[in-house]
Amino acid sequence: MKIEESFTVQAPIDRVWEFITDPEQVGPCLPGCEEIEVLGPTTYKARIKVALGPIKTTFKVDVEVTEERPPEFAASVTRGEEGGKASRVSADSTLALKALDESQTEVTYASDVSVVGRLGKFGLGIMKKKAKSMGEEFAAKFRVRVEGDGARAAEASA
Amino acid sequence: MRYLAPGSLKEALDILRREDDARCIAGGATLVAMMNADLVAVDVLVGLGRIAELSGITETDDEVRIGAMTRHAEIAASPVLTGALGVVRSAAGQIAHPAVRNMGTIGGSICHADPAADFPAALLAADATIEAASAEGTRQIPIGEFFEDYFETALREGEIVTAIRLPRGPAGARGHHVKFSRVDGDYATVSVSAVLVMAGATCSYARIALGSSGPVPIRVTAAEEALVGSPLDQAAIAEAARLLAEAADPVDDVRGTTEYRLMLIPRLLARALNTLKDGETASV
Ligand SMILES: Cc1cc2nc3c(=O)[nH]c(=O)nc-3n(C[C@H](O)[C@H](O)[C@H](O)COP(=O)(O)OP(=O)(O)OC[C@H]3O[C@@H](n4cnc5c(N)ncnc54)[C@H](O)[C@@H]3O)c2cc1C
Repeated sequence: MKIEESFTVQAPIDRVWEFITDPEQVGPCLPGCEEIEVLGPTTYKARIKVALGPIKTTFKVDVEVTEERPPEFAASVTRGEEGGKASRVSADSTLALKALDESQTEVTYASDVSVVGRLGKFGLGIMKKKAKSMGEEFAAKFRVRVEGDGARAAEASA
Repeated sequence: MRYLAPGSLKEALDILRREDDARCIAGGATLVAMMNADLVAVDVLVGLGRIAELSGITETDDEVRIGAMTRHAEIAASPVLTGALGVVRSAAGQIAHPAVRNMGTIGGSICHADPAADFPAALLAADATIEAASAEGTRQIPIGEFFEDYFETALREGEIVTAIRLPRGPAGARGHHVKFSRVDGDYATVSVSAVLVMAGATCSYARIALGSSGPVPIRVTAAEEALVGSPLDQAAIAEAARLLAEAADPVDDVRGTTEYRLMLIPRLLARALNTLKDGETASV
């Protein structure tokens, strides 16, 4: 399943880059993310809860950043599984930032996700829509975080 | 896993309040399949089959009340569901095949809230109210607020749907449900539910809902306004279909691509409206 989305943030590219590559900042914006643990400069672990109607599960994933070109490109590989249950998830993802002007940045992410095991039996069409709505939720939270903090920082320095 | 079969609604509600991880089972057509596929795990199953007050269709002057445990087959054959309510009867008759219609219940169908199911759109077109009970009491949920997302409803923990209440609808109204599916007995690729009143050659009332076209059934008042006052000619139907398709957000899956589903909307709408306009009774 391929997902590609973009959204615009009212903040300069360097600032967006700093936030989006920091697991501690990104974690709270990820829908369902319950815990994020930084293992090293390019690796971290996350626990993500996903619910689709009566189906409720938690994935434990390892994320490894495989390429970074600040402030505009990052690639990562995600591998994970459900706690005790029979599904595995893997994803190859890329993240691209583009400065629209000095104070606006466009964020584009693309991910090729595969789910095998019990959840793989579930309709792909709905999973894709679900991923899209989780992406929108992420974008909304991320914007508030970056733009909100930016506004406060600007106020403090004024 | 424990299986409990309470004999009254009160008892069932007490179990749901008491137990941490309890889930109702109605016909079991969907829930059992999901448990077998290891998609859902349940500690306590509460069978609703012994609760007499949840079954059957009753009527008053103003409304028809369908108990949550009423099977699709009974609804499809009900002589009470006429006029506007023909939309619900014709939807029931087009669900799956006879084995599933003898097993599945209307309460189970709406609580599962599969976006591809037939009842949700039909009930939206019929302006239904969902009656839900909990240990705290009973509440009425307008159908437009019941479905919230894919497989998500406004039902709260510990609540049981007890009945689906259907107003008679305006005088002279007729209702019909049409669906397109890949093979006979399959879920709909797209479905259209319509309730109409014709005053001579002019449409004087229309209530339309789309199924399998988004996370929840879709109703667009502007599309209905485009039909009312028209003779339901091609232009009016095309405009209504355009407005409905604009609001649709169908998935792309084995039952059809997004584009294909959008293309089906005008065709199914025309079929539903022409059937009603020509005065054929909603037969299935
Ligand atoms: C092969 C097959 C083909 C099908 N094709 C179609 C189709 O073409 N169109 C269509 O619309 N549907 C279709 N269905 C779905 C079917 O018609 C039923 O709607 C579905 O099985 C749910 O009804 P049920 O009574 O079996 O519910 P169950 O499987 O018993 O329960 C479903 C869910 O609802 C909950 N629930 C049930 N009753 C209540 C209640 N009163 N209060 C609160 N929660 C409740 C349960 O806890 C469970 O989560 C198909 C099903 C199968 C197996």
